Amino acid sequence: MSAVTAGSTAETAAGAVAGPARTRLVARCGPLSLLAVSFLSIVASLFVDDWRTGAVALGVQLSLAPFAVSGLRAAALRLLPVCIAALSVAWSTWLLGEGGPQRLEVAVTAALRIVVLVLPGALLVSWIDPSRLGDHLAQRLHLPARAVVAAAAALQRFESLHETWDSLARARRARGLGPGRSPAGRVRFFAGMAFGMLVGALRSAERMAVAMDARGFADCSRRTWAEPAPWTRADSALVAVGALVAAVPVCVTLWLR
Amino acid sequence: MPDTSTPLTGGATVRVRGLTWHPHGAATPVLADLDLDVEAGERVLLAGPSGAGKSTLLRALAGLLGASDGGDPDDGQLAGEVLLDGRPATGGGAGLLLQDPLDAVVAATAGRDTAFGPENLALPRPRIAERVAAALAAVSFPYGPARSTAELSGGELQRLALAGALALHPRLLLLDEPTSMLDTATAAKVRDALLASVGERTLVVVDHHLGTWVPVVDRVVVLDRTGAVVASGPPGPVLGRDADSLARDGIWVPGLPAPEALAVPADLVGPCHAPPTGEAALRGRGLGVVRRRRGLRPAPPARVLTGVDVDVRAGALTALTGPSGAGKSTLVAVLAGLLRPSEGDLVPAAGFARGAGPRPWRWSSPELAARVGWVPQHPEHGFVARTAREEVRATPEVLGQGERGRRRADALLELVGLSARADVEPHLLSGGEQRRLVLAAALAAGPALVAADEPTVGQDRGTWAVVAGALRGAAGAGAAVVVASHDEVLVDRASHRLRLEAGRAVAPDAPPDARVVGQGVRP
Repeated sequence: MSAVTAGSTAETAAGAVAGPARTRLVARCGPLSLLAVSFLSIVASLFVDDWRTGAVALGVQLSLAPFAVSGLRAAALRLLPVCIAALSVAWSTWLLGEGGPQRLEVAVTAALRIVVLVLPGALLVSWIDPSRLGDHLAQRLHLPARAVVAAAAALQRFESLHETWDSLARARRARGLGPGRSPAGRVRFFAGMAFGMLVGALRSAERMAVAMDARGFADCSRRTWAEPAPWTRADSALVAVGALVAAVPVCVTLWLR
Repeated sequence: MPDTSTPLTGGATVRVRGLTWHPHGAATPVLADLDLDVEAGERVLLAGPSGAGKSTLLRALAGLLGASDGGDPDDGQLAGEVLLDGRPATGGGAGLLLQDPLDAVVAATAGRDTAFGPENLALPRPRIAERVAAALAAVSFPYGPARSTAELSGGELQRLALAGALALHPRLLLLDEPTSMLDTATAAKVRDALLASVGERTLVVVDHHLGTWVPVVDRVVVLDRTGAVVASGPPGPVLGRDADSLARDGIWVPGLPAPEALAVPADLVGPCHAPPTGEAALRGRGLGVVRRRRGLRPAPPARVLTGVDVDVRAGALTALTGPSGAGKSTLVAVLAGLLRPSEGDLVPAAGFARGAGPRPWRWSSPELAARVGWVPQHPEHGFVARTAREEVRATPEVLGQGERGRRRADALLELVGLSARADVEPHLLSGGEQRRLVLAAALAAGPALVAADEPTVGQDRGTWAVVAGALRGAAGAGAAVVVASHDEVLVDRASHRLRLEAGRAVAPDAPPDARVVGQGVRP
């Protein structure tokens, strides 16, 4: 860690005491290993051909999930869309499937495949820090600096989106343009809100661009990075664990054959 | 290793010749054939009425205007030249501080944010670290560089923005109303940090609060509404000689008495229905708000309001005061029926609710709109229409007020001085104009409760009188008006006051102690 984020000597000392010994593996990993493990699950999902393989693969993933969960509420919110996706896939597969006893099995397998594909990414992405992602994308993968900086800045603003949404919704309600009870009214409301969010995002991007250009962003042809983007042993360890987890359905498939 | 890439001392000379800026879609240029010279190390205060092009001039000096500097050529037409030390101005050549510090945040931590300029200068890593440490120390930043920018208050953010500017080692510092979003005490601290860090740099500052800068600048340059220089010279003589004409032009000249609120006809701003004057239209008891924070990463819930008792009386102007972050905006949102209190009771009088039920936050949107007018703190989030005229007409239209509503809306647009800009998109108006527009829109349907959040920010003397007059006029006509404000002149006009600190009500009607700080004419 360089001086830019290390802070005062007192803070550095406290970091050294409370740091690596207590923080979990995922918290010490850089963004690239977290992304890599998320992508490894694509391989895993390709080998989920029957419900037994899927169940074993999911069981292994779930047994490791506590190590990647930062809070129960947040994790539940993240997993909700995953569950909805899995259930809808299972249901449509069951509806469209051929008759017979295998119809349910096929549907369950389809659902398991989706969960095995998405679960690691859904949990690990919350550990990615926007600025570190920028550092690593630019310095390790050598992506264009301007695009990376703009994307990292935009991600950092992402958290203020819901506040903008709240303000817009309040303003519309106060002005008599709230959603109302009719479906048509709701559609109109959300269309107006979406437009408002778009305008708001553009205006905010414009103001941010002024601030960035005032600090020399527009005219820099080459830039440096305040923080290094090291690949640490934690990263290697995470990728190794991720590879083992992804290998589970592959091994089960080979063994069942 | 010492950083020697740019000399730390000395200021830039500024030379502006024939600068003309004509934004696309505007009828007249914002700046017309402007000449300006600033000596090295000189400190200049740029004054002028709302919309005179002061901010535009600062952007030109910062190298952010026009195609040659990476700006979008479709934005408008640029002519003339802007030279810093004899070279055309480019982005990063000067340190620029903007009105809203939130706009300047580009990174998640204070250290990374400050490092942004040095990174763009392609400095090696150790030099960046040196500059970041020095810049944060120069502004007395109270936390370490690892501090998350999301957790900083307005004053801390503005100091961080200053650190970000100083890290560029600029020879010219440009300040665009750097303290207008801050309360008096915080503004004084930020100003001290600014002055301590100016050193020998050239300084150009834009501020409506002339009084606070007059003692520290060498020269005042006054622009008029057409964007031309009408006066220039040492502050004493310029402001003494032209005080009255400057005041007529809307400039807050120090030493002059505060303007009178404009007398506004009651039928223009008054309520359609209102409870009897003097009765509490809304009675809040033990109001508390706990806010759950959402986002990519979960954060613990934050308590923003605790046990607040408040009566909002019909026919009165109630002012909510207190430092930034005290919970004023939250209380305004609760009183306006836009936020459900987590604790306590909020009871509307029968003459105010008129059958809409005992819980304002559960009123339907039209029920709320017919009773409450809300002026949000950030007007750009309050717009619902494509033009200024439609914006003011929107609520009367939804409520079926017909021709009468349209006439009242158009008259309100004229009152706030925007009828000439009626067809302009609300987002393209200046900050002060946007605020007046949302005020007109809030009053258009004749609400019995007007809840306004910082309605006078960015107003010159003339438009201030209109805003204060509209609020006073509404109260005079029987509406219950509640205003959250840092503006002491407006607070002085209130009949009732409630001071909040850290989410709690303290000593109602006591004079705010912050008044001792900062002796400006304006807060």
